[in-house]
Amino acid sequence: MTTVRDFTPRPTLPPRRAAPAAAAPAERRPFRDNPRLILAGIVLLLVSLIAMITLADRSTQLNPDFLSEVVLYALSVADATMLLALAFVLARNVVKLVVERRRGLPFSRFRLKLVAALLGLTIVPSVLVLLVGSELIRKTTERWFSIPVSDVLTSSRAIAGAFYSEREEAVAGQAARIAAGLPSQALTAGDLDALKAAVSAPVTEGRVGMVEIYRLQQGPGAKPDVVAVFALQSPSLPPGHVKASADRLAARVAAGSSDTKAHEPLDSGDELVRAGAVAKDAKGAAVGVVIASDFLSGDLARHARRIAEAYEAYSQLRVLKRPLEGVYLSLFLMMTLLILVSATWLGLYLAKRITRPVHMLAAGAREIGAGHLDHRIEPETRDEFGSLVEAFNAMASELATSQRRLDRSKKDLERKNSELDERRRYIETILERIATGVVSIGPDGRVSTINAAALRLLDIDDAIVGAPADQVFAREALQPLAALVRSVNAGSMKPAGQEIALARDGREIHLAAAATALHGGGAHEGTVIVFDDVTPLVRTQRVAAWRDVARRLAHEIKNPLTPIQLCAERLRRHFTGAPPPVKDLVDECTSTIVGEVESLKALVDEFAQFARMPAPKAVPSNLNTVLNETLSLYNGLFSHIRLDKQFATGLPPVRLDIEQIRRVVINLVDNAIEALGGAQAASTNGEQPCITIETQHDSTNAVARIIVADNGPGVPKADREKLFMPYYSTKRRGSGLGLAIVRRIVAEHGGSIEVGDNVPQGSRFVMELPC
Amino acid sequence: MRTRHLCSIGLVWLAATTALLAAATQTIQVTPLTREGKVYVSFKLSDGFTDEVAEAIHSGLTLTFLYDVDLKRSASIWFDRTIASATVSATVKYDTLTRKYSVTRAYDGRIDSADTTDSEEIVRGWLTAFDRLPLFSSAGLEANAEYYLRVRARTSPRTAMLFFWPWVGHDVAGMARFTFIP
Repeated sequence: MTTVRDFTPRPTLPPRRAAPAAAAPAERRPFRDNPRLILAGIVLLLVSLIAMITLADRSTQLNPDFLSEVVLYALSVADATMLLALAFVLARNVVKLVVERRRGLPFSRFRLKLVAALLGLTIVPSVLVLLVGSELIRKTTERWFSIPVSDVLTSSRAIAGAFYSEREEAVAGQAARIAAGLPSQALTAGDLDALKAAVSAPVTEGRVGMVEIYRLQQGPGAKPDVVAVFALQSPSLPPGHVKASADRLAARVAAGSSDTKAHEPLDSGDELVRAGAVAKDAKGAAVGVVIASDFLSGDLARHARRIAEAYEAYSQLRVLKRPLEGVYLSLFLMMTLLILVSATWLGLYLAKRITRPVHMLAAGAREIGAGHLDHRIEPETRDEFGSLVEAFNAMASELATSQRRLDRSKKDLERKNSELDERRRYIETILERIATGVVSIGPDGRVSTINAAALRLLDIDDAIVGAPADQVFAREALQPLAALVRSVNAGSMKPAGQEIALARDGREIHLAAAATALHGGGAHEGTVIVFDDVTPLVRTQRVAAWRDVARRLAHEIKNPLTPIQLCAERLRRHFTGAPPPVKDLVDECTSTIVGEVESLKALVDEFAQFARMPAPKAVPSNLNTVLNETLSLYNGLFSHIRLDKQFATGLPPVRLDIEQIRRVVINLVDNAIEALGGAQAASTNGEQPCITIETQHDSTNAVARIIVADNGPGVPKADREKLFMPYYSTKRRGSGLGLAIVRRIVAEHGGSIEVGDNVPQGSRFVMELPC
Repeated sequence: MRTRHLCSIGLVWLAATTALLAAATQTIQVTPLTREGKVYVSFKLSDGFTDEVAEAIHSGLTLTFLYDVDLKRSASIWFDRTIASATVSATVKYDTLTRKYSVTRAYDGRIDSADTTDSEEIVRGWLTAFDRLPLFSSAGLEANAEYYLRVRARTSPRTAMLFFWPWVGHDVAGMARFTFIP
């Protein structure tokens, strides 16, 4: 069922314009699309038909030679050519249609059916007409030669022939009689009177119209010359006869020809019948020739000729019956072939005219489907197919416009996506680069993203992305974070900072964490946890506190120490003269007091130094050189301890205070030597005591590392964080400020120091300085 | 109707076959003779004066016997080479009123003789027998080489055809080989 829609007015075809002169030559239009050629073909066909009809009408009047040698052959060649053309056109198109059908090309079946239908409609009646027409022609030509007509003509011709023969015989008889009665002597002597007297009787009596006497005269050749002597003519003989005719006959008779008769038509329409006879002498030798002539009246001769011509025409028609039949049949065959060729061509033409626009539409639809929206079909006609083509073109144009709009939107979208991608990458890069840990948790409670800082600070693997947050934070050390998330999700906590202490590898890490619940349109969209490592800040605050303590302690302790020491020395001097037991006791006590006071002074000095640590005067320095110079102080001191230096090459200059860094290195090496047993160090587990001083360059993080490792007993994990606290020492006589000063110096340089396990044993101090 | 059609076609076919068979019985006897720088050709068409020909002549139709005479030399691997060609014609016209035959004989279009007779036998000879016609010059012939004369005869106008096909064999051919000895 079709739906009638609003029809827009049919667009008119653009007016035909002449091609510009500079344009490329126009493509040659095929025959089927050229009305002028089609018209010319139709005219040619009609002219051919008219010519054939005319030829058939005049065929019996044509010269037999022309008919049988030219017309018949030309028609046969034309028939054969048309037959071949028809066979070729049929074979070509049948093969083409079959191939198209096998290839599944559209409309091939329709074209095949259309051509077959038109051929079937024409070929059957055409062949039938050809057969019937051929039979009709044959019958008609046979009827030309009916027996009565033939008998009449033959008899008439016989009568006319007999009459002519009779007249010839009569004249020939007169000629013979005159020749027999002709006096040979008179002829030889040229006696005209005697000769006239001899021949005048038949002329005057009317037996012949004219008598001509020739004398044979021996010439130079073998043949005798024929010399006219005289002619006697009846007055009733019509004028206009030619003497040369009689001369030729006389010469023929004299030559002994059997043909002694001749007919000479006269201008008046009459006919002269001549006959010759040889005149001989007494010895039988030819001496002359007598030509006797008589005339037939014009009507008689004309009728006789007409009879003869009619008979000849009839007889020739019978003789040429076959070629004439051939001409008619060839013409008939030609017309049949013309019809068949025209029908075939018309079938193909119609099929193409019908299927071509549809085929073009189908091809155009395929092109449009393939995305070639600029494809257009040129309307070839102004009929309904033309309207369809124009509607198709309009549709394609609208599609192209829509497609262009879509392309523009797509490009805008792609550009925005690209910008968003860039922004996302930028944010991701920032998130990856910043030292602040960021963890996002989706509304389903699973970890969506986690940056590198968070992985590092929380000491977890990035495989946790997608895992439930409760499971990720289930570890005991991360429980504070889990509690923070739960409290935020429960809505009991507004976004705010909170310091959380995490224990990792025996060290305490202080994080300033903030959790924020994300809400979009009222719905919970997840949680973001942000945390910073504030451990150095905490440490700095502690060191500052300890420095204040140390300064006050040094001030408060150092002041009474000098009076104590002076009092003790006064007591010893006072009891110099005392009895020996007392003196010994006093000396011992005062010595102890002075000794301890000295120790306290040293301790106080160290505290004071810790409290008054100056700011480093950093200059760009070669770290390896600084370390080499520093380690050279140990040359030859501890021969049983091996100092292994593994310095990185290409280390960039590091801004550092050389003296302070030397102090750091000496402190660390001294600690290592002490850990290895000092001067009494012995091999453990069969290995030589060894201290490895190594430098590394981490270009990614822009730090230079100094690693001091030993293969001693190592530092227990529980003591590692306390190790850098002031006044904590594992040594019997240590002040507990060495590593605290080390950490402070490193911190003042903007670096960090950590302690860990050495592999396979021992401790490993890793110091990082920015470079 | 169909049977009648078939009978008609069969009759036509039979007539054409008969004509072909008649042509097959006709022969041309060719006799070459080289003398005095000329190649003389004598030939005779036997059984050429058929009933059909006689009927055509007696109908008053101007009938021409055409003889194409070729002097050729054999070639082993290619077509035989034609050294020279000539056309001999004999045209007869019968006057049905006077019962006379007028015969004109021509060589290569040049009239050689024109005779009149009332004897059919003589006409038959004039039309079918030619004696010592000096058609070719032997100047270009190679001594002791073998040549042959081929004579093909036909009548004009043609009076028979095979259905739609006019090229039915009235052509008769004869040939004679000779070695040119100067």
